[in-house]
Amino acid sequence: MNELTKLQMQINRRNFFGSTGVRLGGLAAGMLAAPELLDSLARGDTANDGRVHPAIPGLPHFPPKAKSIIYLHMNGAPSQIDTWDYKPGLQEYYDKDLPPSVQGGQRLSTMTSGQTRFPVAPSKFKYEQKGKCGMWTNTDLFPFTSEVVDEIALIRSVFTNAINHDPACTFVMTGSEVPGKASIGSWLSYGLGSENNDLPAFVVFTPKFPEDSNGQALFSRMWASGYLPTRFNGVALRGSGDPVLYLPNPAGVTRTDRRLMLDSLQELNRGAQAEFGDPETATRIAQYEMAFRMQASVPELTDIETETAETLEMYGPNVRDPGSFAHSALLARRLVERGVRVVQLLHRGWDQHGDLPRQIGNQCKQTDQPIAALIKDLKQRGMLDSTLVVWGGEFGRTVYSQGGLSRDNYGRDHHPRNFCMWMAGGGIKGGITYGTTDDFSYNIVENPVNVNDVNATIMHCMGIDHERFTYKFQGLDQRLTGVEKQRVVTELLA
Amino acid sequence: MVRMTLTLSTLLASAISLPLASADEPVSFNRDIRPILADKCFACHGFDEKKREAGLRLDTFEGATADHDGNRAIIPGDVANSELWKRVNTDDPDLHMPPAESHKELSPEEVAKLKQWIEQGAEYQKHWAFLPISDAPVPPQVTGGRNPIDAFVGKRLNQKGWKLSEEANKSTLIRRVAFALTGLPPTIAEVDEYLADDSADAYEKMVDRYLRSTHYGEEMARHWLDVARYADTHGLHLDNERQMWAYRDWVVKSFNRNQPFNEFTIEQLAGDLLPNPTTDQLVATGFNRCNVTTSEGGSIDAEYHYRYAVDRASTTASTWMALTAGCAVCHDHKFDPISQKEFYSLYAFFNASADPAMDGNALLTNPVLKLENDSDKQKLAEYDQRITQSQQHLQELVSKVEYRDPATVEPKPEVSTSESVWMEDDYPTDGNRFAGPGQPTLFVTKDQNEKVFSGERALKRTDAGLSQDVWDQAKTPLMVPTQPILFAYVYLDPANPPKSIMLQYHRAGWQHRAVWGDYEAIQWGAANTPERVAMGPLPKTGEWVRLEVPADKVGLNPGDALTGFATTQFGGTVYWDKVGVQGTSDPANDPSRSFLAWWKNAKGKDTPGLPGDLNGIAKAGPEPAPAADQIERLKAHYLTRVCNETKSTLAGPASEVDRLRVEKDAYYNAIPSTFIYKDAQTPRDSFIMIRGQYNQPGDKVDADVPAILPPIRPAGATDRMTRLDLAKWLVSPQHPLTSRVIVNRFWQQMFGVGLVKSSADFGTQGELPSDAELLDWLSLEFQRSGWDVKQLMRLMLTSASFRQRSFSTPDMIEKDPENRWLERGPRLRLDAEQIRDNALFVSGLINLSLGGKGVKPYQPANIWEPVGFVGSNTRAYQQDRGSALYRRSLYTFYKRTAPPPFMVNFDAPNREQSCTRRERSNTPLQALQLLNDVQHVEASRALAERVLANGGGDPTARVRYLFKTVLSREPQPHELAVLQKQLGEHLARYAASPQDAASLIQQGESKPSTNAPATELAAYTLLAGTVLNMDETLTRN
Repeated sequence: MNELTKLQMQINRRNFFGSTGVRLGGLAAGMLAAPELLDSLARGDTANDGRVHPAIPGLPHFPPKAKSIIYLHMNGAPSQIDTWDYKPGLQEYYDKDLPPSVQGGQRLSTMTSGQTRFPVAPSKFKYEQKGKCGMWTNTDLFPFTSEVVDEIALIRSVFTNAINHDPACTFVMTGSEVPGKASIGSWLSYGLGSENNDLPAFVVFTPKFPEDSNGQALFSRMWASGYLPTRFNGVALRGSGDPVLYLPNPAGVTRTDRRLMLDSLQELNRGAQAEFGDPETATRIAQYEMAFRMQASVPELTDIETETAETLEMYGPNVRDPGSFAHSALLARRLVERGVRVVQLLHRGWDQHGDLPRQIGNQCKQTDQPIAALIKDLKQRGMLDSTLVVWGGEFGRTVYSQGGLSRDNYGRDHHPRNFCMWMAGGGIKGGITYGTTDDFSYNIVENPVNVNDVNATIMHCMGIDHERFTYKFQGLDQRLTGVEKQRVVTELLA
Repeated sequence: MVRMTLTLSTLLASAISLPLASADEPVSFNRDIRPILADKCFACHGFDEKKREAGLRLDTFEGATADHDGNRAIIPGDVANSELWKRVNTDDPDLHMPPAESHKELSPEEVAKLKQWIEQGAEYQKHWAFLPISDAPVPPQVTGGRNPIDAFVGKRLNQKGWKLSEEANKSTLIRRVAFALTGLPPTIAEVDEYLADDSADAYEKMVDRYLRSTHYGEEMARHWLDVARYADTHGLHLDNERQMWAYRDWVVKSFNRNQPFNEFTIEQLAGDLLPNPTTDQLVATGFNRCNVTTSEGGSIDAEYHYRYAVDRASTTASTWMALTAGCAVCHDHKFDPISQKEFYSLYAFFNASADPAMDGNALLTNPVLKLENDSDKQKLAEYDQRITQSQQHLQELVSKVEYRDPATVEPKPEVSTSESVWMEDDYPTDGNRFAGPGQPTLFVTKDQNEKVFSGERALKRTDAGLSQDVWDQAKTPLMVPTQPILFAYVYLDPANPPKSIMLQYHRAGWQHRAVWGDYEAIQWGAANTPERVAMGPLPKTGEWVRLEVPADKVGLNPGDALTGFATTQFGGTVYWDKVGVQGTSDPANDPSRSFLAWWKNAKGKDTPGLPGDLNGIAKAGPEPAPAADQIERLKAHYLTRVCNETKSTLAGPASEVDRLRVEKDAYYNAIPSTFIYKDAQTPRDSFIMIRGQYNQPGDKVDADVPAILPPIRPAGATDRMTRLDLAKWLVSPQHPLTSRVIVNRFWQQMFGVGLVKSSADFGTQGELPSDAELLDWLSLEFQRSGWDVKQLMRLMLTSASFRQRSFSTPDMIEKDPENRWLERGPRLRLDAEQIRDNALFVSGLINLSLGGKGVKPYQPANIWEPVGFVGSNTRAYQQDRGSALYRRSLYTFYKRTAPPPFMVNFDAPNREQSCTRRERSNTPLQALQLLNDVQHVEASRALAERVLANGGGDPTARVRYLFKTVLSREPQPHELAVLQKQLGEHLARYAASPQDAASLIQQGESKPSTNAPATELAAYTLLAGTVLNMDETLTRN
């Protein structure tokens, strides 16, 4: 029996005890990465055949509409009044105080709770009805996205509990304000694995943002695995430097040198395998091979010159600038095309307490064209049906101005009571608008949607029942959507 | 109680053995039934009163057997009539339990067990972890056993027909022990010493040597700091730096001096409440200042006071009791007998802290402790003495000054125009200067061929973007005269002109700005208001130009007291000189010339820079006149600091006083401080917070402990319980949890998995102990030894169980994949710190100095920057240089929102919350790091140099030396062959491309010092890298 066969035997016996009819198929033992794979093979689950990142047993719960997700997080909280919650009636209220009956004694952030006046600031931007659906769209800020609104399901009635960035971002990404929980991307890659063997299952981008925008901090906990095993951490693909940490060989070491060294290393490690009989050694051998493959697959991924001129042009002038939002958006498409499960783009700079119209214009200049291009590009390739695209921030902004107010210039404070998100693609009914706020975009009057309802809906599109998808930690069945009852927003589904 | 205890240990004797009890064996509630009920039933029929359905609770015998309208869930001995049994078996979906929406189902085995249990009388037991620790006798020793641990382990193995494996070989053992106790590999000399020692207790002596090493404390501290959630930044929002590394060093020191664990506990939880606490005891309280804090604008104080107290209570409960009390924040614990009220009673111990809700984004957030040593104290005393001397000198000079107040002379002096110059060759001494971004403040002189308008020096600044020189926090304010015109002289470099320049003035804030050039280039202040006034185009370049700003244009008026000004530019090279204000002056009414006029002006307001009592005198005004000596002191201040005519002659001696004060402050500020824990003067009342919402208080609660645990007694005169009472209660002999939890975590550290695998959860949802008797025996032994940690380590490490060979057969892996039964020795992948420290150690690069501020080793670009808040002081990673790059990983600066990648990649936590157990993942990203991270490439080269220098002349000897250095053993023949073949190919390849060889060996900041040819060094670098990447190298074998 050669070493490799012995290895396979050991792994088999460790994990397949009691099962019969086990097939390893064409899978080399050296590629085994995760115990889940072995479990799934033991169940005769062919969907996981050959996968380095397999799904856990029982998942998906039902046939998914979306195989991948691209989550566009506009960090800092875009003003819903200046983006997607059209309020024409506000013009009449310019510089008048927000009626106390609307404000309703709600808690304010301490940045404006000391203000003596709460003057209403109407949006300065132009809105038009766009698409076959006639969705009201800010065509000043979204000249490109306005062309794809028929793909979009807009939710105008999302609400959160948090009034500050740190807890709100943690909430929107992990379903809880308290740090330490698992992020949505980690949940999805843990549950569903990935169909690509040479790239991470969950990839994150933190693209550049306008230098004079008010950039809030990001936190690695927004893509961290929390209590889930750490291999489900999002891998931040970086705009500058190496896209994956420690990817290239050091200067003076070629791929041939590395192969030579790895051949020797693997032979020594097979000796350790015989010496100690530890299955971890087999996994390590496999992971060094995976690393070697990633050294080829990641540069291939980031080489966008293989794209057509039309495609590159569609994403806008910054597409060749690594680390730009446009470049990241194109890479997002290339990732899901290669079977990667979760891609997140976290774009900063949306926290406009003052100077809002100018700054939000710069934010949209960077993001509008690439986002529209992403949707069109996915659609052209027939991938939109199987890719869920989500757009949103962490809370909304106040209808009243923070600081000085003019027709053209104003600022807005944090507002957790309602904000906008949209979804498009796999599983989503395009061209619809859901949820209504009052005339001041201050209170939800119809169809409130909790942040975790959104998360439940995302999971649903991916074939997961959020209530049944749990992980035991600290004595509790943890779930992304928390202990409270949450709802899949079925009205958004195709 | 004693009887019950004995029953328990008997029942738990084979707690997790598989398969579970056979049909005729009695069912054990704790072993067989509680896990079923806890998982399937307690969520709706458990301890949580609010979530309890139909009023039925199944977690107590009374509840389960209570009558509900003629039905009883359980009738002991009568399965057929027990409602529970009917519900579990019915096909009616409306009646079936567990209900479909719970997504829970009972397996046939579980149903059978419930049946058996009810038939046998449905006996309930208290959860094992809350029962007193049993004093079980040590079983008879087994073959190959060395100490009582082996007797327990062996007994368990024998019951299964298994036995201990043979002992590992000596070179494996010394490496295993060295890593377990110091986190470092043994040196070749240490290996040789041990291999040569044939005495019967050679192993024990070797263990003792490592227990005495100062690196023992470092390794032990590393694990504790995960639990304590220690890091070098605040954690939330800006995530700025905080200074509390003295706490980390205290932990190292405590383990090294083998502080008894009960004292270690008491000092961390309540060191401040001990009588006359020492500095060390106060530093120890940093444990409960390690939590994450915020200073995010808009945050609500009450919310964060609440969150910090919740964090501290939860961390304390999990650290010492492995209770997941956090669940009870929002509701009664569903599974463990901790009510929400009891959680908030625990919380009440910590809801009295003195630290503010907002950390201020400051390095030091009160309460902090200055860590002055004796030489610091002496130095500060010297400063005080010199300051007193120069003040006396100044006073003598003041007394000799001839000054006549123009307000008191006749005839009154005439009105004239005059200038006050605020900056000529330097800023005034009694304020604060800063500059940036970019170069620090720079004064240039004519001698340097630079531009100077007047005097000796001028300010110069070059920058591509927005940059400035600022002076503020003036102790003596700059007064705005009547008819004021602010002025400054500026010279713009014609070769590199700026886009715009700006003058800024600080009164209550920086709201007074004048701009020349591109108005939009600098966006500060509301446009077209005095906050940002357009003054027209840039002045002519290539010559000195006087800029003038009528003060009212920027919102400043006569009598205003300014405390700062700034010279700002966008791009270009700009010189500034002679900054000041021009005004008309009626000497009799001019505060800068008349003492009386100044005093009248100061009436009714606070004058910055005046000591408290003088400020009071100034504020009261000249009438009625205070005592003569008070007038004299106030006048002395005026003449020295304010009066235009006299202050210039007194400037030298006055600035000497200022300089000494600044120096003393700088010295004082450089002495490190550390966060400590204290109670607020007035304790906050504590309430149950409904649904865990900080703004929804329910009933008031007092500090207390959960009723399921032994009672706590206050030591003080009042009934009020303190943290000291809590700490002492935790380590009291009656406490069933603390010693079990601590012993279990040390066991986990040594053996890889705890006797209770869920080391963070000893509650009903946690796992049962694999060997309850051993856990209890060790816990009592630990207490009996006086909580002696080194003794406990020695006990575990000298057991035959620890010394076993770690070889596992497929059969062993099949029977016991996690090695819970210890049929073989532990084999564990090294932790993140150990992997890096090992590479540094065997390569000889390591810097083994102890303690101090966190260091910043190599880190790939853009780890901090893409996530950091713009204004954060931990946004840009400033890598250290020189020997700091090679410090042990324990001392690496830990930024919570972007922790060091070499740590996270190998499963280190981000230290946002307490972590009692790290995973051991195995990923391709780890492989990439170890192959390509400059830290490891450099270490490979340094190791190659060592091999070439000390390994002898021929390749065989060198490979053997390499092996022994890294793995503490000789290579096997086939290993030798593999490496020699590899070496040959690398040598040939680099001989053909010497350029590549030269590049490879230049990686890292240390430079190669060998005389060996570059091609040879490069080939050996890859060879060393291969050995450093071996599975065996990365593992404690």
